[in-house]
Amino acid sequence: MADRQLTFEIFRYNPLKPEVAPYMQTYKLAETTGMTIFVALNMIREEQDPSLMFDFVCRAAICGSCAMVINGRPRLACKTLTNTLPAKIKLFPLPVFKLVGDLAVDTGTWFRYLSEKTESWVHTSKVPDPKVQEERMDNAVANQIYEAERCIECGCCIAGCATANIRDEFLGAAGINRVARFMVDPRDERSPGEYFEIVGSEEGAFGCMGLMACDDNCPMELPLQMQLAFVRRKMAAYGLGYKEKKRIKP
Amino acid sequence: MLQRVLTKSNKSDLYLDLIELASGLLLVGFLWTHMLFVSTILISPEMFNTLSEFLDTYYLSYFAIPFIVVVALLHFVIAGRRIPTRIQEQRIVWQHAKMLNHFDTWTWVFQAITGMAILVLAAIHVWLVVTGWPINAMNSADRMEAFWWFYLVLLFVGEYHAGFGIYRQFVKWGMFPRKPIGYVAKLITVVIIVLGLAAMVAFVRLGGGA
Repeated sequence: MADRQLTFEIFRYNPLKPEVAPYMQTYKLAETTGMTIFVALNMIREEQDPSLMFDFVCRAAICGSCAMVINGRPRLACKTLTNTLPAKIKLFPLPVFKLVGDLAVDTGTWFRYLSEKTESWVHTSKVPDPKVQEERMDNAVANQIYEAERCIECGCCIAGCATANIRDEFLGAAGINRVARFMVDPRDERSPGEYFEIVGSEEGAFGCMGLMACDDNCPMELPLQMQLAFVRRKMAAYGLGYKEKKRIKP
Repeated sequence: MLQRVLTKSNKSDLYLDLIELASGLLLVGFLWTHMLFVSTILISPEMFNTLSEFLDTYYLSYFAIPFIVVVALLHFVIAGRRIPTRIQEQRIVWQHAKMLNHFDTWTWVFQAITGMAILVLAAIHVWLVVTGWPINAMNSADRMEAFWWFYLVLLFVGEYHAGFGIYRQFVKWGMFPRKPIGYVAKLITVVIIVLGLAAMVAFVRLGGGA
């Protein structure tokens, strides 16, 4: 296994040099034990081509910077072992997001828009008192929130989504999952109507066509199918006038 | 953007999604019932005739056929809004599906294609049946003998669309994980296709003997 010679075909384009048309460049590299795409790209950059652009920060599937299309699938470079792939590896930048250059894309602008659009903060009228102990939360609810909160904003669900590829304003699984996170949070005082304003349209819950490429390609393995269906049902219930029993807020 | 703001904050997207769901479920329910009814030919031609006479006598056919035609057209318009109309968007989706090589994405692409095919094929089917009224074993046998190739295509195209359609609606709305839903939908689809094929053979044999 360790003797394999890997062939990388990498998408090259620098938007600052528009006179050079996009092209695929081939690199050869000897595979080492435990090699990830992230390690391989660093070796290529150090030993063969210092001009190669790609993003990374944490190399441990926490920061979400190194997402790219690896042999057709959006994945994290740092979490993808080369020994799980054939010897020929094709790398593309994530679609949907703005290209910085080669494999590097700007997911930050997109996710900032998402955070602003979904107002990703706890909406509360309570003024926190620093001297008092924090309110306690039911463990099951805390876990539910944490499960959604594990999203690292890598953008794989957006890149894999056919709808997001053709509809710029679609919030995708990342956005709908974010809303689900606040819906279950007892500290957030937003009404179902206010959530409906955000995701009660084709920009949100009803834009999803159920292709589930988000669910199948999430590097953090978030339960996106369940989250999308949960928000869809909640929004339909509100839209049809179903009145929820008032949640008891501690 | 003014145009977006002025037209936003209504429930139309929700209603459209619900109509897509309701019309889809109705059509799947109809199609599976229809195929079970057709399969009564496997028991005996008399059984088939009794059932069709029953539906005829109580005017169930005269109500159900126009109703299903309207629901199908509604479903075509409402569910069809998902299909990209601009050529560039269609290219994006096609390229995306090829790149991703992801099962549920490919099945959706073929659902869009089979949906279009059903619009044409089902229209021809309804025309053939309605102009060849009444429905009885001998009429159906003649039809099947002449157009078995047409019905072979319609059977597969229709059941494919229905099977993956109901699967997708459960995925979008349901509380269950996808895998078991997929198995159940595929199992029912296979059973219905086998029944349909068996019924076709039965009809062709019946026609050949006449």
